Amino acid sequence: MTSVAAPAADASPRASTRESSRRRAIQRFRWSILAPLIALIAVVLLPVMFLQLYFSLHQWTVYLGTWWDAEWVGLDLFKDVLSDPRFGWAVVRSLVFATGSTIGCFVIGFALAYLMYKPFRGQAVYYIIFILPMLTVPVVVAYTAEMLLYQSGPLNDLITRLSGIEFKPQWLTNPNIALPTVMLLEIWNWTPFSFIIMLAGLAAVPKEPIEAAQILGASKWRIFWEVQLPLLRPVIFLALVLRFLEAMAEFPKTWALLQGGPGTATETLPVYIFLTTWQYFEISKGAAMSYIVMMMMIVIVLAAIGLLRREKRSLDAMYAQSKADG
Amino acid sequence: MAMTKSRRSRVTTIVRYVVLTLWATVAFFPIYWMVATSFKIDTQWFAWPPVYFPDPPTLANYLNVWFGAEQYAQTQYAISSQKPLISLMNSTIIATTSTFLAVAFGSVIAYGVSRYRILSEVRMFQLLMLRMIPPIVVVAPLSLYYSALGLLDSMFGLILIYFLTTLPYAVWMTKSFIDEVPREIEQAAEILGASRWRTVFEIVLPLIRSGLVATFLFILILTWSEYLLALIITKTQVTTLPVELSKYQGSTEGRVYGRQAALAVGITIPLMIVGLVIRKHLARGFSFGMVRR
Repeated sequence: MTSVAAPAADASPRASTRESSRRRAIQRFRWSILAPLIALIAVVLLPVMFLQLYFSLHQWTVYLGTWWDAEWVGLDLFKDVLSDPRFGWAVVRSLVFATGSTIGCFVIGFALAYLMYKPFRGQAVYYIIFILPMLTVPVVVAYTAEMLLYQSGPLNDLITRLSGIEFKPQWLTNPNIALPTVMLLEIWNWTPFSFIIMLAGLAAVPKEPIEAAQILGASKWRIFWEVQLPLLRPVIFLALVLRFLEAMAEFPKTWALLQGGPGTATETLPVYIFLTTWQYFEISKGAAMSYIVMMMMIVIVLAAIGLLRREKRSLDAMYAQSKADG
Repeated sequence: MAMTKSRRSRVTTIVRYVVLTLWATVAFFPIYWMVATSFKIDTQWFAWPPVYFPDPPTLANYLNVWFGAEQYAQTQYAISSQKPLISLMNSTIIATTSTFLAVAFGSVIAYGVSRYRILSEVRMFQLLMLRMIPPIVVVAPLSLYYSALGLLDSMFGLILIYFLTTLPYAVWMTKSFIDEVPREIEQAAEILGASRWRTVFEIVLPLIRSGLVATFLFILILTWSEYLLALIITKTQVTTLPVELSKYQGSTEGRVYGRQAALAVGITIPLMIVGLVIRKHLARGFSFGMVRR
């Protein structure tokens, strides 16, 4: 096969056998790397997928006997989940949480990066301070937030003192603001992510188009909107997409701080799945829910991957360009 | 004209410093509060008005939490077990082992992809799904599977799943470093008759040494702070630090902020040191090597 495919118009037979043995060697090399990877994924993930499907189709909880004797219920559990308003609200909350915190992180991170991408005195110090929240363990963020946010706590006290107005929101116990509170924590925790991505992006944008626009007398504002922003598009997509996916999966802060409460105010999808499975011990319902969420996330991730693939090409082209320019 | 321009740039500079300092305060204050609380005596943890500076500062929280020193603590808040030190050991072993495996295996895959395209671009992106699908959707069947295998509450179980979920980062990040190495050296080695494996281990990987260290430390950040999988897969024998910290919540009637803070500081310091060491590489890490500086 390989010898037929080789461009053997002027090659001697010896050269083509060498070529084909080289290809075989590469194939051997390839499979000696990939085989363990595929085996590992198969051994760990396939049984997990199978179990998840099994529990979605059989009614079982830990109080019943052995799980392989569980009763077959067909798609009942899926119907159960899809007609559960609490699940619907969890979907809505997760989407609101992820969208809101992604936008928050992005706007602040981009603004800070824009103010910082040119060298100035103290740049290194600000950079270090700005990345610290990202280097705090999420569970630690949750407990620190509790120390800061109780009603007569330091945050409300500081704002009251500085503004002179009595400022006493119940960040953690008022069901109307509990979810925004967790979103603010997510924004505090992960603005550094958007910041460092946008900073690296701004630094990598080619200089000539900006200089050309400056010579033509364009204002900073116009240069930003009409030159920098279009060039930054791939980086912006990257910052938004990756942050959104991570925010959809956020669990440690939401759980450690509020366990979905007050009431169901902060019950996002991961929290609701966790509660169903490990607090109510409805393993099967949890599995069906996980299955639905997994399918939903696969659709979202595939869309995201399509986007990232497209944008990575323009990004690679940009780096190749700036490398060629020296 | 020149006057107004320089004045304008001075205004811009002042605005910049004001905005940046404002955010620096927002970013730093919670961290300060955590550290300050860890040095407070118990009556100041939850005081009104809040106590901004520990007075007098005390080491009791640290001594009690980390070393179980009860003589430093009032009995009401004393935490007598020495679990945090065990968790520290667990966390260290689990995080370093799984990270080492991910980087070792990931860098070899990355070399194959970079030089021989052993995975197509589509497959490379599909590999990202190992990371991008939220772990919560598989964690219940995973724990049942693990309990059938006897891997529940074992270091190996956690190392295995951390290895798999951080592998995409390892592959992508090391690939971005390998892509920057010119091929001429390897081609010379190949002509001299070196095998591919020798080329990987004796030429390419040593050339991207600093990149491998950056990747290792970056993934260490992820595994060190992971919570959900550790919470489900570990029970009593093996707990990691984030899970240990969460056990101080709601377990007692009183609020034990000072103790929590002392534990939290201990968990966070290694992470911050590691993160600051590789601060220039964080963007590359989090963007799977797609964005570089």
